[in-house]
Amino acid sequence: MSEAELVRETEVTQGRYVYCIASCQDELSLGNIGIGHAEVYMVSHKDIAAVVHACQAQPYASMNENEVKEWILSHNTVIDEVSERFGTVLPFSFDAVVKGDDDVVKDWLSKGYEKLKQELERLRDKAEYTMQIFCDQNKLMDKIIGENQGLRELKEKIEKMPKRAAYLFQRKFELQVKDAYNVMRGRLTEEFVSKIKEHVEEVKVEKKVSQLPKNYKDKKLIAAFSCLVHKEKVKGLGDALGKINSQEGYAVRFTGPWAPFSFVKLEGV
Amino acid sequence: MEPTRLEFDINDVLEKLLNKGLVLNADLIISVAGIPLLGVNLRAAIAGMETMLEYGIMEAWDKSTREWYTKEFAERMTTPLVMGEEVIIRTFGSIWSNQGIINTWKPGFLYLTNNRLFLWRKEPPEMLFEVSLDKIEGLMAKKENHFKKEREELYLQSDCGEIVRIHVSNVTELKQAIRMVVGKKLENRIMVPSERTPPSPWLPHSCAVEIGGSKGR
Repeated sequence: MSEAELVRETEVTQGRYVYCIASCQDELSLGNIGIGHAEVYMVSHKDIAAVVHACQAQPYASMNENEVKEWILSHNTVIDEVSERFGTVLPFSFDAVVKGDDDVVKDWLSKGYEKLKQELERLRDKAEYTMQIFCDQNKLMDKIIGENQGLRELKEKIEKMPKRAAYLFQRKFELQVKDAYNVMRGRLTEEFVSKIKEHVEEVKVEKKVSQLPKNYKDKKLIAAFSCLVHKEKVKGLGDALGKINSQEGYAVRFTGPWAPFSFVKLEGV
Repeated sequence: MEPTRLEFDINDVLEKLLNKGLVLNADLIISVAGIPLLGVNLRAAIAGMETMLEYGIMEAWDKSTREWYTKEFAERMTTPLVMGEEVIIRTFGSIWSNQGIINTWKPGFLYLTNNRLFLWRKEPPEMLFEVSLDKIEGLMAKKENHFKKEREELYLQSDCGEIVRIHVSNVTELKQAIRMVVGKKLENRIMVPSERTPPSPWLPHSCAVEIGGSKGR
């Protein structure tokens, strides 16, 4: 009996932590690459398999941020490993624990088979890429003021004013610049989408972006996207982004491939 | 340009794994699969889980997580009750402390249980005052000036002569409750030492030994 089998037998381990669903018919062990070095293995039904490890039937929880981060990185490593071996997977969010043993997982796979299979087919040979487009703050400001006659005139007026009077108008000017910036951002986002559209299957405009790497801190983020891209179109997308990147003042951050976290869906499939 | 994947760009990974991907506890998946599934978004651990727990966001969570919470936090959140001890009254209260040069009201939660009366401060945890019910000899409500306003306070005398001064919002209720639980006749006149009297035999620490000692009733 292998160690994993032993763990699976134990009374307390009646949960299965799910990493992803992959196209694979064999019940392989992937070794101790899971969260907390757990042995990751595949539970299959026909030609699809859930990638899991045996755990207690309760979610992972910790007050230690670093520990949680480590778990999350491990989860991602497993997804990367499986994607490399079996192609596109249906990735699960962190901390998805099935209550029950391998049979419950199997049962679940068999009941959801049609939908899971269809989703795997839809995403086959595609991966998620993310891009963030930045612009130099000063360049952006020049562009905004340059294009807006009202702002230009207000700025000239302020420059001729005595200091005290200028202060109030300066505030007004700043507010108007802010509005103009939002308008321009919307316009630029559309512009970027039109430039990359032909290279992607799907595009999602990200409203929120978590912390950005330090080397982009002095720049203004104008737009962020997640895209589902066919593997044969990645180069074309890269070229299109390269063009944006080479424009003066612009910088593009392009990451991937990721498992299709933003595009996997199971409802109504 | 070529896409990059820096192994240690943790923020990107967090973004994907916490905010995206399939989730098991989504209703649709449970209904599709029709089997018992559970899952929890651990985003909270990063966004300050403790805060979320305190504000009851926990309610909507899995039972197992709640169990974990109970186990993990129970000791810190509850009061130091002993086995079989029943709380009769729990109210916000304060006790007059005049040890040394510091004269002040110390606030906390006043508990009247079936065998003790105590004032417990949760943060930082400290037992501010504690007396076994059978050591209470006298009890008296008295009007006192508090910041130019008159309010009722409760004086309590222990069997070694220690006098403590307690304030709660409903002194009458507390007084009656103590009388009932103690179940013996209590002295209802207590000689309260003037504030100016140099503190000597009534200092709590000076009789602490006696309370725990063999001097019984």
